[in-house]
Amino acid sequence: MSAEELLNQYGNEYVQALFTTWKLTAISFSAAFVIGIIVTVMRVSPIKPLNAAGEFYIQVFRNISGTALLMLVVYALPYINVVLSYFSCVLVVTILIPSAFCSEYIMSGMNTIGRGQFEAARALGLTFMQIIYRIVLPQSLRASVLPLTNLAVSTMLTTALASQVPMKPTDLTGIVSYINTHAVGGVTAFVISAMMYLATALFIGWVGNRIDQKVRILR
Amino acid sequence: MNTSQTSIRDILYEPPGVKTKRMIQVFTVLSFIAVMLLIYVAVRQFYITGQLDARYWYFFAKPTTWIFLGEGLAGTLEAAVVAGFISFGLAFLMMLGRINNIRAFQAIARALIEFTRGVPTLLLVYFFFLVVPQYGITLAPLWRISLPVAISASGIVAEVLRSGINAVPNGQREAAMSLGMKESHTFLKVVFPQAFRYVIPSLIAELVIVVKDTTFAYVVNFPDLMQNAKVLISNYNAMLPVYLVVAVIYIIINYLLNKASVYAASRTDSTTNTAAS
Amino acid sequence: MDHKADVIIELKQVNKFFGEHHVLKDINLSVKKGEVVVIIGPSGSGKSTLCRTINRLETIDGGEILIDGEEMPSEGKKLAEMRAKVGMVFQSFNLLAHRTILDNVTLAPIDVLHKPKKEAQAEAMQLLKRVGVDSQAAKVPAQLSGGQQQRVAIARALAMHPEVILFDEPTSALDPEMINEVLDVMTSLAKDGMTMLVVTHEMNFARRVANRVIFMEDGAILEENTPEAFFANPKTERAKAFLETVTVH
Repeated sequence: MSAEELLNQYGNEYVQALFTTWKLTAISFSAAFVIGIIVTVMRVSPIKPLNAAGEFYIQVFRNISGTALLMLVVYALPYINVVLSYFSCVLVVTILIPSAFCSEYIMSGMNTIGRGQFEAARALGLTFMQIIYRIVLPQSLRASVLPLTNLAVSTMLTTALASQVPMKPTDLTGIVSYINTHAVGGVTAFVISAMMYLATALFIGWVGNRIDQKVRILR
Repeated sequence: MNTSQTSIRDILYEPPGVKTKRMIQVFTVLSFIAVMLLIYVAVRQFYITGQLDARYWYFFAKPTTWIFLGEGLAGTLEAAVVAGFISFGLAFLMMLGRINNIRAFQAIARALIEFTRGVPTLLLVYFFFLVVPQYGITLAPLWRISLPVAISASGIVAEVLRSGINAVPNGQREAAMSLGMKESHTFLKVVFPQAFRYVIPSLIAELVIVVKDTTFAYVVNFPDLMQNAKVLISNYNAMLPVYLVVAVIYIIINYLLNKASVYAASRTDSTTNTAAS
Repeated sequence: MDHKADVIIELKQVNKFFGEHHVLKDINLSVKKGEVVVIIGPSGSGKSTLCRTINRLETIDGGEILIDGEEMPSEGKKLAEMRAKVGMVFQSFNLLAHRTILDNVTLAPIDVLHKPKKEAQAEAMQLLKRVGVDSQAAKVPAQLSGGQQQRVAIARALAMHPEVILFDEPTSALDPEMINEVLDVMTSLAKDGMTMLVVTHEMNFARRVANRVIFMEDGAILEENTPEAFFANPKTERAKAFLETVTVH
């Protein structure tokens, strides 16, 4: 099938698939970012049980495979009366896994802040919370722009898991399997999806680089 | 003073005063109760839904269960190792393209790297599973899973290798060349081995991604851990316990790989340090 | 004249340990308004630690530290308020890497003293002019030389109108050609009547600017005298030995 025929027949589905992938990516990344910050606060807090809980969370979700987690959420959780929609199931996976990595990146961003800056801020009479808002947050976030850009791309890649559940509309990966089981899409169906992913990834990378150039901290 | 052991916590907080100490104690107790409550709720949920019943768990006491899961794990590792080697080969070629002086090679290598990094593994799996057979090419299940996983990882591995090459001091190359070694010979015998040693930790860390990606093996009917888990589930009608155990196995494998990476990094650090001093 | 009212910093029987190591031994010291006190001694003598205990960057294990007659609180807002009265200049400048030079100077006046932004900026520009780096105001710290950064750090301390400024080896991290530009600023501050406690290896500065020189070794104050008397005629053997090693350089 030529690209023209394919787009004539499945054009609408492709647009919907693209939007689904974008939607999943945007929601997942935003939520992962928020959770990542919360988990980071738990990990650096002076409260031991929270440290342990945060560390456990990180180890579980950075090491679990996306498929294994998706299977658990979709098929196993209903057995303990936790039933989510397919869309929510996918979101749970595409939020939890990136959130663990998000926390790791923010932690290493935090480690780039020189100890002396904390002492200087204390000596000037800044309170603990002022130090957090004025120094820790801005510097660790600025230092993690590029890792977080890569995280946004890998979050997008993770959303391909959506193709593993019967979701309507499906995503950019699901549509390739859909077309190829209904018609002989050949390589074209694959290439169109791949290009849409690629364009999205390049766009995310471009935005991330622009932000990084603006906020990068000279050292 | 021991500065190597300072964590971000030591830098963030000052020695607590009386009030702060009391607050930390209160929050420690409260958060401990909260964590325990969370665990209690989860276990209770398992209990009231009958998921703790012996019939869902007894087969984990049977050796055959573990042998079967072990076979699945062997499949996972086989696919991961094969994918790892292919990925390394592809990455090596892309890296050569990237550091080459010929513009066209650079452009092709860059495009390939961007492609592999911007396209999900699962899409590549479908390519090898659904699209390739349409052109009359039949691949064994092992290749159907290893190839897409390898391609998917190769772009990042190529960049890792390139960063290793860049980390090798230029003087090494020049010294070898001045001894009359040819450019290609210098690269293979002097530069690359060192670069490789620098990036071993990153390569191990990359294996984590490969292992995770092999879970798509069920799509192509390759018997990996996930696939065997599904068989167990249908045999014993125990969805939750089996998926839970499998998830834990993946977490442990990848946790160990990450630890190995950190260990390797500390070793390369210490060897480079002693070499420098 | 009321002697007590003049004392800004007072240390009484201060002791500190790093684990087994006794780093400050029964330190008694007071600094009066308008005084320039210079602490010298070999590295590892505890002089830097002593300086850092005064605004509680290091806690102490015994004794008392009074600022303006009040003991330093151990935590919270009260501690922050007291610290704001004591300026500090560090060996490694410690400017905030992500903010401009101007922001570095205005941050604390705005956040801690709640000054209006305009006013804080106008004053900051004057201070930057005074230390000779006003032309760099829009840059970030990494774009400045070490000497320039240290002068900004001094302006930053001055912006808080502190009652006293602590200098913790302010020139030790600088290239030789930049040391004087910082010492010149410090000298002019001293001439203007700023109360200063300076930990340094710069003997010429101590000789010219100090009202009082304190010699420390092994965590204890061994000698305390006018610079003239101390440099001409040190009383202890160890001070003599120390002065011999530094005059060689």
